[in-house]
Amino acid sequence: MIKHDIVVIGGGLAGMRAAVEAAERGADVAIISKMHPVRSHSGAAQGGINAALGNREDDSPENHAFDCAKGSDYLGDQDAIEAMADDAPRQIIWLEHRGCIFSRMPDGRLAQRPFGGAGSPRTCYSADVTGLVILHTLWEQLERFHVKVYEEFFATALAVEDGIGTGVVAYNMRDGELQLVTAKATIFATGGLGRVYRKTTNGYASTADGTAIAYRAGIPLMDMEFVQFHPTSLKENGVLLSEAARGEGAYLLNSLGERFMFKYAPNKGELASRDVVSRAEWTEILEGRGVDGCVFLDLRHLGREKILERLPQIRELALDATGKDAIDTPIPILPGMHYAMGGIETDKFGQTRIPGVYAAGECACVSVHGANRLGGNSLLETIVFGARSARHAIDYIKGVGEVRPSERTLASEKNRIAGILARRGGERHSHVRKAINEAMSDHAFIFRDEADLKVGMEKLRAARQAATTMTVQDKSKTFNTDLINLLETECLADIAQPIVLGAINRQESRGAQARTDFPDRNDEKWMVHTLMRYKGATADPEPDYSRKVTITKWQPAVRTY
Amino acid sequence: MAYTLDIFRFDQATDDVPHRDRVEITDLPDTATVLDALEHAKAEIDGSITFRRSCRSAICGSCSMNINGTTGLACKTPVKTVLRADRSVGIDPMPNFQPMKDLVVHMDPFWDKYTRLKPYLQPADRDEDHERERRVSPEDMHKLVAVANCVMCATCYALCPVVSVDPAFAGPAAIAYAFRFIEDVRDSKRKERAAQISDDYLWLCAHCYACSYCPKHVDPHDDIIAVKRATIEEGLTDAPGPRHALVVAKTVKQTGMLHESEVVQGTVGRFNIRGLIKQTPMALRLTLAGKLPPFFLKPVPKVDEIRLIFDTLEAPTL
Repeated sequence: MIKHDIVVIGGGLAGMRAAVEAAERGADVAIISKMHPVRSHSGAAQGGINAALGNREDDSPENHAFDCAKGSDYLGDQDAIEAMADDAPRQIIWLEHRGCIFSRMPDGRLAQRPFGGAGSPRTCYSADVTGLVILHTLWEQLERFHVKVYEEFFATALAVEDGIGTGVVAYNMRDGELQLVTAKATIFATGGLGRVYRKTTNGYASTADGTAIAYRAGIPLMDMEFVQFHPTSLKENGVLLSEAARGEGAYLLNSLGERFMFKYAPNKGELASRDVVSRAEWTEILEGRGVDGCVFLDLRHLGREKILERLPQIRELALDATGKDAIDTPIPILPGMHYAMGGIETDKFGQTRIPGVYAAGECACVSVHGANRLGGNSLLETIVFGARSARHAIDYIKGVGEVRPSERTLASEKNRIAGILARRGGERHSHVRKAINEAMSDHAFIFRDEADLKVGMEKLRAARQAATTMTVQDKSKTFNTDLINLLETECLADIAQPIVLGAINRQESRGAQARTDFPDRNDEKWMVHTLMRYKGATADPEPDYSRKVTITKWQPAVRTY
Repeated sequence: MAYTLDIFRFDQATDDVPHRDRVEITDLPDTATVLDALEHAKAEIDGSITFRRSCRSAICGSCSMNINGTTGLACKTPVKTVLRADRSVGIDPMPNFQPMKDLVVHMDPFWDKYTRLKPYLQPADRDEDHERERRVSPEDMHKLVAVANCVMCATCYALCPVVSVDPAFAGPAAIAYAFRFIEDVRDSKRKERAAQISDDYLWLCAHCYACSYCPKHVDPHDDIIAVKRATIEEGLTDAPGPRHALVVAKTVKQTGMLHESEVVQGTVGRFNIRGLIKQTPMALRLTLAGKLPPFFLKPVPKVDEIRLIFDTLEAPTL
């Protein structure tokens, strides 16, 4: 049995930041991750991380918080938003002090660039590999504090004894054995759920594992209907081209060569918030001003030198996928699934409703992003709330004696996995995955209406039935990724319905939720969070609208860019 | 486009020897990458084909493997660019690693090379002394930009012939990471880092340029040269590697040619009697073959011009 005071599930930015915070304070902490930490998808984040340092223009955490509240279409909890904006400058300095390779201004201070929905240029960056350099900085700190990483361990279930979280059961991919991981505090930091959609900017590993495990153990998921579609993903493979391109001045063009964004956002144009830009693009495409289902990202006027200095990665990604060089050709792009605003419900300290269980980063819903996240805030959230959840967990474990290892959870997981490996006939898990992807991408995309969502819901019910019969071809104990893919598909099957049911029930348009049958925001009725509770492997989730949005300074107002 | 994936198959728990499977791919677009083809094969044909992958955009470094004998990222390699004459693609695990299952290898020896570097910033002053960021000029930060793009995919480590004969050699990726700290103006351990990487056989690098084939254009070979230079600047010259580099330069500067007998003495150490005695059998064989290099070498004509090159390069830059 593995035993630590604090166990972090996931080795991306949020998980590593939590582990480093705990290690710096002398706690006994370990990371469980299905990949080596530097493989995490946080490394694919390109554009930057927000903090009101004011290096380029006067700025303040309050301005940053206001932009977040407005960007969230007033669904974000403003106490949490203010906490994040206040902590942001401190956290960026913390990263810089640990060697993070941020781009600089001529006087040696951190450079900042403009980003969508932001009142001033407050996005710190490292060319277009910001996530990668922060990921490496945090991994270096793991090395510095000798934090134990259980690498290529896949968490399968949360252990709860007497209403208190006591760790997880994890599958060691190298030898195929399930192990009990006992901990006084468990922090989920398992990242996104992009693979629930057919096309996504997310990597293959973004399969909502922690989200699903927490949900099955009784923790509600919050605001799952709010899915961010990034305005600039490559048509060929869904790969992300950073918002930094538009931050540096790139244009969006339709088939007529028009910069269409000013029709939709007269002031901000291309730098409106992501939900606004994605809807605008999709409207252009639906109204026949696209080319092969795409619009164009045009970088040409930025010039070769600026592109190679500030945006080299996206130029190469576009070149690899399309054969087109952004230096002299506009790149066909379209909105693609990018980020889940929703996730495991937490308070502003990262605590869930089960004592001893925390969540941070994309898998969590605090909520700081509300109905729409601003670019540059996802990396910030991982750093701020990774650290905050660890700090709270350290205080929490002081009051906890020895925790009882949950042998019964281990036993039931052993049975469950043995049952899956022994199954015959049934569905190929890759086909069930496709059915889920189809339901989501065809029926819960940018524009939604009740009839269409209900078709999606019906398809998901069928897919979840099929998911109970999924089989693997690989029965081996060594690095059985066939089994891992199946377990990941189970996670996707469970977290898909809360997205669609949340979208059906919320009869309004707010942020990323755009209902054609309810085109207006309804603040009278819908200044509440959506909570969804798990009711079984094939049962629909149970909605709950008892959690109201926390407002501190900014009343909902008309949102224009 | 139809083709065959010719895949290395092995399970360390059950197989004594590997075998190969041929998987026919018929229905993927022309733009498919090797990773797309493997994903398709796993999803539709044989779920037991095993490989690591995540981002599919060349940033996570998971899917490095050997494709037709050359290591690279499967997600960055279009199938159509690597098809052999018989319309097949050979896919093997990275060399220089122990295979675990199919294309998945044991990465631990690679990560251990990083751990030995103490790979974290060690500034001279305390963080608390800085209310804000430490100031670094764009030029100083720019030196780290190329290596900051390293995704630790281990392609260079797999391609390195020195690693293949001496697994104790740090390998290109770790040396590049040492460079990342050695060149960071915020770090205070330049000499310690240079000494550590020298202990990890920095000077075994044979400058074959194999690691210059880097999917992320890091080109660790440039960094290896820079790290060697840094070790000499830090005065870490009392070892065969740096002595060799210095004496080669010295004889070329003096004579315009490689003064081989001088180089041997300089590398082994002029007062290293035991070391020099070890060289005598070779000297005898060379003598018998009539190839013993002269002990005294006359400078070439116009040696002044060669010395001018040295003087120019050695002059402190403004």
